[in-house]
Amino acid sequence: MAGFLDNFRWPECECIDWSERRNAVASVVAGVLFFTGWWIMIDAAVVYPKPEQMNHAFHTCGVFSTLAFFMINAVSNAQVRGDSYESGCLGRTGARVWLFIGFMLMFGSLIASMWILFGAYVTQNTNVYPGLAVFFQNALIFFSTLIYKFGRTEELWG
Amino acid sequence: MAGIKALISLSFGGAIGLMFLMLGCALPLYNQYWPLFVLFFYVLSPIPYCIARRLVDDTDAMSNACKELAIFLTTGIVVSAFGLPIVFARARLIEWGACALVLTGNTVIFATIFGFFLVFGSNDDFSWQQW
Repeated sequence: MAGFLDNFRWPECECIDWSERRNAVASVVAGVLFFTGWWIMIDAAVVYPKPEQMNHAFHTCGVFSTLAFFMINAVSNAQVRGDSYESGCLGRTGARVWLFIGFMLMFGSLIASMWILFGAYVTQNTNVYPGLAVFFQNALIFFSTLIYKFGRTEELWG
Repeated sequence: MAGIKALISLSFGGAIGLMFLMLGCALPLYNQYWPLFVLFFYVLSPIPYCIARRLVDDTDAMSNACKELAIFLTTGIVVSAFGLPIVFARARLIEWGACALVLTGNTVIFATIFGFFLVFGSNDDFSWQQW
């Protein structure tokens, strides 16, 4: 009984070589997540236009998440390890500091969105949808960043 | 001949997609022309990939990063073309039926653009005899 699925194999699909396409698939998934997050926020802003329903300052989280996305993905993993030929304008330590600040902004925005959801919506007994929208925007941008940064392999980059 | 057949079927697909979009706008039941804004996204969608292909050659180390950024932006434009009619319908600018027609038109148009890149995109084995 133990291990009866050990010899199970998915049906083989020989038509597409997924290892070649890994970077493209990761880019597509990251793109879908990122822009879905933004459109959820746009939808909430359109359906709840009054500041009492959704304070316009809550857009800040998404803006900082997006900034963090571009900061994190601006440095390649090779730059951080110090492997690449040219050291870029900041060098290896500069690349690490840049990545550190980028991740701090990302985590900060994610935590802020959770705080907004619970502090401004769940505990106030109002319609919770705008808070959920802020949270999902930042969560989706966060996962999009992770997939775009770590889902692509740099071995193909020569 | 394969080139001509593909071209004709792709243009038919494009015409069907635009037909869905126009139905979503022009039917007397709906009569709202807001969905025409997705045309902006249709025109924008091939641009990042074309720029990336022209800007870098395949042997450069950074070419893959540029192409992946182009794929990311193209996916974003496609998602936006689907999101815009939904936001319009949620804001009650258009009816949900019109939204459904526009989304169907989106699917057909983007399948056509993707098919265009698949069939006519790769310059590796481009030969004049295709025509």
